[in-house]
Amino acid sequence: MKPFLNVILLDYIIRIRSYSFLIILYITTAISYTFVPEPNANYSTIRIGEHVGYYNSAWFGYVTAIMTSIFLSLLGFYLVNNSIKKDLNTKVGQIIASTKIKNFTYLLSKTLSNFLVLLTIVFIIFVMSLVLFFLYNDGFDFELAQFIYPYIIITIPSVFFIAVLGVVFEVLLGKYSIIQNIMFFFMFSFLLLYSPQKEIEYAYDLLGSKIVIHQMEETVRSILPVEKADTDMTIGYVLANTIQAKKFKFNGVEFSLVFMSSRLLWMILGILLIIILSPIFHRFTVREYSLPKKRTKSRHIEHTPKEIILSTLPIPHTKLSMLPLIKTEILLLIRKGSLWLWLINGTGIVLLTTLNIKTAHQFILPILWFLQVHRLSDITSKEIQNHTFYFISSSFRPLQRVLTSQIIAGCCLMLFLAAPLLFRYAIEMSVLEILSIALGAFLIVSIAIFLGIITKGKKLFEVFFFFVTYANINVIPVVDYFGGTIKNTSHTLIIMCMTIIICSLSFLKRKLEINR
Amino acid sequence: MKLEIKNVSKHYGRKKQALQDFSLTIENGILGLLGPNGAGKSTLMKIIATIHKPTNGIILLNKNNIIKDANYMRGQLGFLPQDFGVYPNLNAFEFLTYIAAIKGVGGNALKTRITELLDGLNLLHAANKPIGSYSGGMKQRVGIAQALLNDPKIIIFDEPTVGLDPEERVRFRNLISDLATSRIVILSSHIVSDIDVIADQVAIMKKGALLAKGDLQYIIKEVTGKIFEVSIDSSRFSDFKHDQFVLSATRSQGSITVRYFSENPVEGSIQKKALLEDAYLHLTKS
Ligand SMILES: Nc1ncnc2c1ncn2[C@@H]1O[C@H](COP(=O)(O)OP(=O)(O)OP(=O)(O)O)[C@@H](O)[C@H]1O
Ligand SMILES: [Mg+2]
Repeated sequence: MKPFLNVILLDYIIRIRSYSFLIILYITTAISYTFVPEPNANYSTIRIGEHVGYYNSAWFGYVTAIMTSIFLSLLGFYLVNNSIKKDLNTKVGQIIASTKIKNFTYLLSKTLSNFLVLLTIVFIIFVMSLVLFFLYNDGFDFELAQFIYPYIIITIPSVFFIAVLGVVFEVLLGKYSIIQNIMFFFMFSFLLLYSPQKEIEYAYDLLGSKIVIHQMEETVRSILPVEKADTDMTIGYVLANTIQAKKFKFNGVEFSLVFMSSRLLWMILGILLIIILSPIFHRFTVREYSLPKKRTKSRHIEHTPKEIILSTLPIPHTKLSMLPLIKTEILLLIRKGSLWLWLINGTGIVLLTTLNIKTAHQFILPILWFLQVHRLSDITSKEIQNHTFYFISSSFRPLQRVLTSQIIAGCCLMLFLAAPLLFRYAIEMSVLEILSIALGAFLIVSIAIFLGIITKGKKLFEVFFFFVTYANINVIPVVDYFGGTIKNTSHTLIIMCMTIIICSLSFLKRKLEINR
Repeated sequence: MKLEIKNVSKHYGRKKQALQDFSLTIENGILGLLGPNGAGKSTLMKIIATIHKPTNGIILLNKNNIIKDANYMRGQLGFLPQDFGVYPNLNAFEFLTYIAAIKGVGGNALKTRITELLDGLNLLHAANKPIGSYSGGMKQRVGIAQALLNDPKIIIFDEPTVGLDPEERVRFRNLISDLATSRIVILSSHIVSDIDVIADQVAIMKKGALLAKGDLQYIIKEVTGKIFEVSIDSSRFSDFKHDQFVLSATRSQGSITVRYFSENPVEGSIQKKALLEDAYLHLTKS
């Protein structure tokens, strides 16, 4: 038992010590600060019709708990679902595979350390909810139980199941991380849309938020006259909410025994899933690299290597052209990931050509671009991950040439994918659209490069890009980086400035690194 | 070519001092760098290769301060790091072309040069396969090839023979032996016999400081005439070890043949020819 706990603890410590986790914590703190709006803020997070709750303990506790449950299910999955892959990449997996550890023990320890990572974030948000309560204190009593109950009954079980799912997806889909992401995304959307009808059905709600929302709606309904019962619930950031919201008093939820045991059952189900999957876990026997199928007629002639005399070899001359660099970077981008993912890209390109131009621009383009997330996140982090950093930092004028060619290569990929759309706009002579798309590509590539440089990893950009894409599909204008909804010159100018700033920061950081 | 390392120190963090006031002058030829694990060999090499900056001290290459003007060094440098990686998706040819582009060399001669290098390092048959499918020694040889791409005038190999089979090690030695005349080659290794055969000069370091530097004869001179071998009973071995400077011991049926360093040998000892390994062990162990 003791060694098992040590494994979990060590794994956990390694993960929270990483720089990117620190950044995630910053972001979480910032986001959780917005979970309950400041009393005069012009947005709301949870709103029932025209009503929001009085700022009492229950409102703070329950609102932050269900926001966390939803937010952390999505973010958390992307955060933790590389724990096995990391062992594979660092070759630690090979050492683990040669020990006596059982598949189940290993997978369970990964699950639990995933869980601990998420729990750390939950804890931060929990503390934030207390801070917010006292910050916006409206004269209501502080009731600790109203904070603790929702977190224990709603947030923690759902976060636990997410930790399980992180491992389950990795076991089932191994190295196809992009498919894991897409599948989880659909699953999550389904979870959000699920609406229980009967009392018992709340038990099926993994995120556990529905029962709270239901209770809130009921409370509002009870204080409203029947005919104008507008109890439509909105979750998320609703902007420009300038009309003063009406208030209602929310007193928390009396959780039924059935509901509470359903939370426990979800957790048990999670462990069962791990048990079921243990026998099929690959145990690091996956081929890290697959040879191309097509074999050039294997020349099995015994080849005796030549004795060469180095000083007589031809001497290449100085050539500072960036073309070969760009070429290789593009090659690396294209070869990243399995070949058949290009079929999906192909489909995307066809859709960009055939669908009506507005849909193509607004929805297909961001999704198609998002599908390149693992390629973009690799551009600058690959030097660390593959240990090729030394080659670059000891070469001639590395900064200007390598980084620039990486940016160019990334943009080439994105613009190539957007080509049909650009072409259609060119026919229509819509210069602004073309400019917005080109700038959008440039911006997202520079963000990928910047985050890769500062975190030395891929995760942060992947999570970030995911949220941006998700928000764009939901047509939230502030995150429109490619001119899908906002079509004016000043917006384009802002995007341009951001791109320039982010690029400069990347160059600056690289310069500091190289001059260590 | 002349490389002058003057009073170089390197701290990692506040406590760790990997190099302490290190000075060394290197001229054309092959310099073998020896030292126990953690002696600071890689640190020194990375500083020369302009990857790290020293905390103190300067390094001059032909009178140019390369800490200020790193590109002067980088333009004529070939460097094989101890822990390097490759892009597994590229084949050897593509990878070398990429590194050449990073180094800023190209032209028609490059292609021929890459082919010749791959041939000389016995990689030509695999040149079109992705490096991800290579064996450890093959990857190491790709690393060696990349260091030689740009006709470097100063070549730094950090443990180049790691993972090479005996045959490939010989091939490597032959390959670099003709570089010595007009270039500086610095190589570190734990295989003393490798250094023995190829190096013109040897530098031995420990705990970030230089213990000795000179040609083979000079290094070995210290221990010449003081290396002995004697066969003793196994039971006496631990006492013997206590009294004498034991360099190595081989066991054979109840008795142990001990090789040791001594000014006044025990009775029955046979004087042996001193080797670099003896000098190395004597210097670093005492
Ligand atoms: N990045 C680093 N951070 C902190 N300490 C370091 C770092 N790199 C090296 N060191 C320390 O500096 C000392 C010298 O390390 P270095 O790698 O130069 O030794 P070495 O002679 O190359 O050893 P080896 O034979 O094992 O390769 C060691 O004590 C090591 O712990
Ligand atoms: Mg070393």
